[in-house]
Order: sequence, then structure tokens, then C-alpha cells
Amino acid sequence: MHIWLRFAALALVFWGITGVTQKLSTNSISSERSFLWFCWAMVALSAAVLVVAHPHWGLGALVVWSSIAGGALNGLGAWTSFRALESGGKASIVISLISLYPLLTVGLAVVLLGEPLTWMQMAGAVVAIAAAILLSLEASPKAEA
Amino acid sequence: MSAEKRTRPLWLLWSIATIVLWGLWGLVSKVASNGVDVYVNQLLYTVGLAPLMVFVGWKVYKHSPREDAKARRKGVFWAFLTGILGGLGNLAFFQALVKGGEASIVSPVTALFPMVTVLLAVIFLRERLGRTQWVGLALAFVAIYLLSA
Repeated sequence: MHIWLRFAALALVFWGITGVTQKLSTNSISSERSFLWFCWAMVALSAAVLVVAHPHWGLGALVVWSSIAGGALNGLGAWTSFRALESGGKASIVISLISLYPLLTVGLAVVLLGEPLTWMQMAGAVVAIAAAILLSLEASPKAEA
Repeated sequence: MSAEKRTRPLWLLWSIATIVLWGLWGLVSKVASNGVDVYVNQLLYTVGLAPLMVFVGWKVYKHSPREDAKARRKGVFWAFLTGILGGLGNLAFFQALVKGGEASIVSPVTALFPMVTVLLAVIFLRERLGRTQWVGLALAFVAIYLLSA
């Protein structure tokens, strides 16, 4: 198994657990307060990283701004997804729609970064997006009964 | 014009904004992974998150409903845990890119995280799966196999 795949699987597990903890949180408090405390946890984690990991500096402007932009884009994306749900969009449609975001990453990575994709990987990306959409759909009341 | 017609473009707009923002996030993360280690990335990522945190903090202060103290403690605990796990997920996602994973592969693989949520919801929240979710779960395993080939 590729080493990068192990880390990707780890991210999958951590983010997967957040799906449950986020639901438990928003059962008790508003989505905005939940998001705010999510951000405080990020600050705490960063403080821990600063103390424990002794990161080294001396970096190029492009990578620094890319990292900062990563935080801003991911955070803003989470916020706009809440706004989509609060603006009257049905959860099953909104979540299925936003599950398409890897398509943009794949397209941009191939075009701008020149990443090569085999036919199998291309098929895998399409199947992954279809799977994410299906998994995000709420079970019908009949299935839940 | 009906209320539904008025609101539809708004949620669609927010949804498209989410696709663009998260789609770009995958790309800039790959660019950053060529020169930043996971720890520095986590620090800079939080710097990028700070302006939004101030904005949402202001909104919560002004408009958020006052929840019951016990419910709030419980909600805050789970939200904080979500942030820690989300951050650890970010570290792992970034490390996958640092270790040579292509953005065009890592992004679709990690986007399959609802498969873990669904399994945990079945085990711990005693939720039941619909047929579409079972199909989604099966497709998720097929996707991981194809993407890692």
C-alpha cells in the first residue's frame, strides 16, 4: 500500500468521525456556535503543534500563501455549505451537490499542475464522487422504519 | 414569484461557492505541500481561518440563540472534539500530499469520508441505512481500489 494512501485513509477516518461529532454538537447548539468552537479547536491544535513539533521556517512566499489560502478556502467552504442549508436548500440535494467538489480539484490539478491520470484512476474519481453523493443521501423514512 | 423560487438561486449559489472553495482548497494544498511540512501548514492554515473566525464570532455574539447551559456545554464539547479530529484529518490529508499523493487522487479518496460517518452512525447512533447508502458504501470501496491502482 502506498504511504500516501495510508495517510489519505487516516484523513478519511478522522473526517468520517467528525460527521458524527458534528451532528451531536448541532443537536445541542447552533451551527455557527459549533463552527466557532471547531475553529477554537484548530487554534488549540496549532498551539500544540507549535510547542511539540518545533516547526522550521524560511519558506517561499508561494507555499506560505498557499497554506494560508488553504485555511481560508476550507473554512469559507464550510461556512458557505451551512449557508446553503440555511437558505432553504434540501440537505439531500445540497450535500450531494457539494460532494462534487473533488471534480474541480481533479480538473485543476490535471490542467494547472500537469498531474497524470490513468483511465483507472479517472474511473475511480468518478466512482468516488458517485459514492460520496449516494452516501450523503438521507435514508428514506421507509428505510429508517 | 413564490418563496421557493426566490430562495432556490440563493442555496444554489452557496452550494456552487462551496464547490469552488473546496475544489480550490485541494489545489492550493498540493502547491503548499511542495515546500511546507505538515506542522507549519497547520499553523498557516489556522492563520487563514482567523478572519472567518472573527466574523463568525461576531455573528454568534450578536445573533446566536441563548441555549440552555447544559446543552451548550454538551454542544461545545462535541464541536471542540470535531475541530480536533478535523485538524488531525487535515494533518493526515496534507501528509498524504507531502508523501507524493497527487491532488487529483487524494482529493476524491478523502472525499469518501461519509462512508466512515455512515458506518459509525449505524454502530453508535443506531441509524439504519437506505438502499442508496449501501450502494454508495460498496462504490466507495470500488473507488478506493481504482484510485490506488
